[in-house]
Amino acid sequence: MIRLESVTVKVGGFALEQVTLDVPAGGYGLVIGPTGSGKTTLLEAIAGHAPLSGGRILLRGEDVSRAAPEARRVGFVYQQYHLFPHFSVRENIGYGIRGHGSGVRDQRVLELAEMLGLTPLLDRGVHGLSGGEQQRIALARALAPRPSILLLDEPFAAVDPATRRALRRELSLLHEREGVTTLQVTHDFEDAMRLGDVVAVLAQGRIAQSGSPESVFRFPNSPFVAEFIGTGTVLRGAVDRAGPVVPGEKNFAARFRSGGLVLEVVAEREGEVHAVLRPADLLLSKDRSAGPAPRNRVAATVVRVERGSAVAYVHLDVAGIALVAAVTAATAEEMSLTAGDPVVVSVKATAIHLI
Amino acid sequence: MTERRSPWTLAVWMLAALLVLFIAGPLLRLLFLATPASLGQAFRDPELLASIWLTILTASAATVLSLLLGVPLAYLLTRVPFPGRRLVAGIVELPVVVPHPVAGIALLLFLGRQSPIGRVLADAGLEIVNHVAGIVAGMLFVSAPIVVSAAREAFRGVDPKLERVARTLGDTGWQAFRRVTLPLAGRGVLAGAVLGWARSVSEFGSIVILTFNPKVASILIYDRFTLFGLPAAVPAAVVLLLMALAVFVLVQMLAPDRAARR
Repeated sequence: MIRLESVTVKVGGFALEQVTLDVPAGGYGLVIGPTGSGKTTLLEAIAGHAPLSGGRILLRGEDVSRAAPEARRVGFVYQQYHLFPHFSVRENIGYGIRGHGSGVRDQRVLELAEMLGLTPLLDRGVHGLSGGEQQRIALARALAPRPSILLLDEPFAAVDPATRRALRRELSLLHEREGVTTLQVTHDFEDAMRLGDVVAVLAQGRIAQSGSPESVFRFPNSPFVAEFIGTGTVLRGAVDRAGPVVPGEKNFAARFRSGGLVLEVVAEREGEVHAVLRPADLLLSKDRSAGPAPRNRVAATVVRVERGSAVAYVHLDVAGIALVAAVTAATAEEMSLTAGDPVVVSVKATAIHLI
Repeated sequence: MTERRSPWTLAVWMLAALLVLFIAGPLLRLLFLATPASLGQAFRDPELLASIWLTILTASAATVLSLLLGVPLAYLLTRVPFPGRRLVAGIVELPVVVPHPVAGIALLLFLGRQSPIGRVLADAGLEIVNHVAGIVAGMLFVSAPIVVSAAREAFRGVDPKLERVARTLGDTGWQAFRRVTLPLAGRGVLAGAVLGWARSVSEFGSIVILTFNPKVASILIYDRFTLFGLPAAVPAAVVLLLMALAVFVLVQMLAPDRAARR
């Protein structure tokens, strides 16, 4: 397991402040955040390359805050691979295997090479290999000494989308097979949704939110998190109580106003708030009387339709406010949605997340 | 093609050619002045041969010391941020701007018997002034900046993340340096060492003050020139020049694409 307790790291003018995070043994944690938020510094602190100014780092339950990097027994894969240019692929993979005979080393190198499709490259130098090949070698090299913890620094950032999908699949399989506790940093929430058990959003050196990917995605705790992970449209406005006070209940019926848009919501407090409208929660129809009757039904105009193979994103203008609705590509086709079409947008009051 | 014919381009080529001529001209003139007979005589001259042998030995000793002391310093200056790093880097480069006789006088004052350090060394049996150690000291003073600068450049070319990866793969700091950094920086460090050696061989200004006798090649040439005139100095000068050319070729072989890259 990886446990960070109020970890503080100062590097030049930048500081990671009070970072607390738990990745259970065998789990897959993801730290996501924009460029410069301190993601790589966090991994380097865990690996022992950046000294702590405060807090503790526990790996496998053992306090390693002051331990040398070689004593921490972690595998580290950098975004730019950093293969040893003076060694062959085989030597790179076998670099960290020590204390065994050459037979054991060779067997482990072959096992990983086979797993990652690197066998034909073993006796080559590392120059001229593709990004995907280099990334696989870096991964094999990190896993070769059988670390119980693997740290991945944006492992898919420098490869093309097809390689990224393949690597993501392979990484997921490797994680299952090797059972290594993994912490990956990324700026792509899709990685978190597909790979992570735990996700932490890092902003300016602090953890803005952490939890399961699903809960962070559905219930972001700040406009920054909602916007960064792309939960949906974030509107700034104010909430007024609309229903009676019920003793013992913290929620109440309310109205959220933002510009010309008024939505019925379920709120916990009045005053200034942000409302998050998830694209999948917005229902579209061309007929005002059609379908079930959620609390909110507002007129909108289609601005443009972004068609994917399965999902179409419909950009809307609602009383001067831009919203995005997600519908299946088939629905978009059936409704013949085109720019300028008048539509009705429906959304349940309980589907609007207030922060 | 049009640009090559422009007056500006022509002027650039002419100015560049003038400098090349100014450097190559005197050296070629010296080389052609020596006849095979005079060279053969030079190679049979025991005083000249002893002086060249002394030059090679002392320059090699200065180079080994430069590497032993300069490589760790270069590594620290490149990799470890510490207070006063820029000041230390500046101090190491100072010999480049200090006139060499001035360096000789400074070393004489610092390492001579009149100074506390000189006394301690002399009491320990290491006489500097007027001894071979003085030659090595003068050579070290002028060649160390070259070795440190080359080693810094070489270490700068090795991504520190490679060392970090090696550390996470179980290497200690020393093992990561030995297995990753040094092999990758080795060629640059070696090229710096060869240049430093060549600089030591050519040193005159500080050695003439520290240790006139025994004579290294540069001092022997000066001595013969002042006592017996140009004809006596030329064969020895040609031998020294040939040695320098051999080193130059070696440096070019160690860093074959350096000129092209710059």
